[in-house]
Amino acid sequence: MPDILFNGQTIRVKTGQTVLSALLEQGHNIPNSCRAGVCQSCLIQATEGDVPPDAQTGLKDTLKAQGYFMACSCKPETSLKLVLPDQMASRHLTNVLERKMLSKNVLRLRLMPDSPFEYRPGQFVTIWNSENIGRNYSLASVPGLDEYLEFHIRYIPDGKLSGWLHNEIQVDDVIQIQSSIGNCFYVAGSPDQNLLLAGTGTGLAPLLGIVRDALQQDHTGDIHLIHGAVKMSDLYMHEELQHMSKQHSNFFYHASVVEDNGVPVSISTAPLDKVVMAVVPKPTDWKAYLCGDPGIVNTLKKKLFISGASMSNIYSDPFISPDHV
Amino acid sequence: MTTLYERIGGQAAVDKAVEIFYRKVLADDRINEFFDGVDMDAQINKQKGFLTMVFGGPNHYTGKDMREGHKHLVARGLNGSHVDAVIELLGDTLKELGVADADIQEVAGIANSVRDDVLNR
Repeated sequence: MPDILFNGQTIRVKTGQTVLSALLEQGHNIPNSCRAGVCQSCLIQATEGDVPPDAQTGLKDTLKAQGYFMACSCKPETSLKLVLPDQMASRHLTNVLERKMLSKNVLRLRLMPDSPFEYRPGQFVTIWNSENIGRNYSLASVPGLDEYLEFHIRYIPDGKLSGWLHNEIQVDDVIQIQSSIGNCFYVAGSPDQNLLLAGTGTGLAPLLGIVRDALQQDHTGDIHLIHGAVKMSDLYMHEELQHMSKQHSNFFYHASVVEDNGVPVSISTAPLDKVVMAVVPKPTDWKAYLCGDPGIVNTLKKKLFISGASMSNIYSDPFISPDHV
Repeated sequence: MTTLYERIGGQAAVDKAVEIFYRKVLADDRINEFFDGVDMDAQINKQKGFLTMVFGGPNHYTGKDMREGHKHLVARGLNGSHVDAVIELLGDTLKELGVADADIQEVAGIANSVRDDVLNR
């Protein structure tokens, strides 16, 4: 009979018993509700062992890829090492390798981790300052292409973390970060699926990571990246992305800004959701990644879904706590 | 003798129906205002739970859950006409999936049975 290792305790799972029932029997307080594999309240992560596919029915590919499953639907055949979703995070030390302003208020920060740091491009980490205040920032770098971790930090007036990173932190300083989390990343397996990536402001950072990851893994379907901003000067990677689209025949870059004075014809002045729906009028079999302003992310999500995209193909990362003071 | 849930197609039918149903709900101006600002990922899981229940499948819904879950919507004006609209869209969804009329009637009956709980009457 298989064992499960949880919180340092080894628990024997009886034949036909579910992981949830075995954990509850031992007095572990595991959130759960429907116990029928529907509500996903009992989501748990296997860091070692094989999860039976039945226990992952209906989960997003990115959750499956990280070993998440529903404890209520899992009758394990091999031993499993388990953690609850929020117990994974641990802190790492990094050195500031490089800092460069990409626009008037976006800083590109490259950090070198002091030990191997596993992540998927597009996930986010918490960066901690010396007063132990932490904020989330998305990863724009790609393991295998970049040795460093790259972040795009927008300056927020009076923002404790962004102010510190913009004004105080210097090259060679040591910064603490927490291991990566989030479900907004590229999953190999459907190389010919078309991808849509849309975001506002520094929502571009995770999208850039995902695009580079997909291209690195020889994605053959079309990849459309749409960056929305207030002003032209906020399109902080305009030239690089135009250049990238010339290098890859299946990568297309679109830009949209709110201001409408002296904007070249190559940049749209229509609202971002209009631009997105014009690029992808029928998103039925597309995979979509949406990052940045929560209101815009939710609008896009709803429009894409109503137009035919499947919810299991929409990955989103609304920047919910934009560096509160 | 087969159960309603088995005849409709069980869990696989729930998975198939949920997006068709939720897409209809969000596109329907009679009821979509009640879904403004909700977390769509969480909501689609709730919709799965709802469909499992009205298909006669395994569920742990109680009248109290139904009352608690809709209280804030009743305060915003949720009434019988909205429940009617949901039952209509549910029927349209099942028709699209080729479910027999008699089974659709039975599903509508189960949905109707929680009307008073949903409306906190």
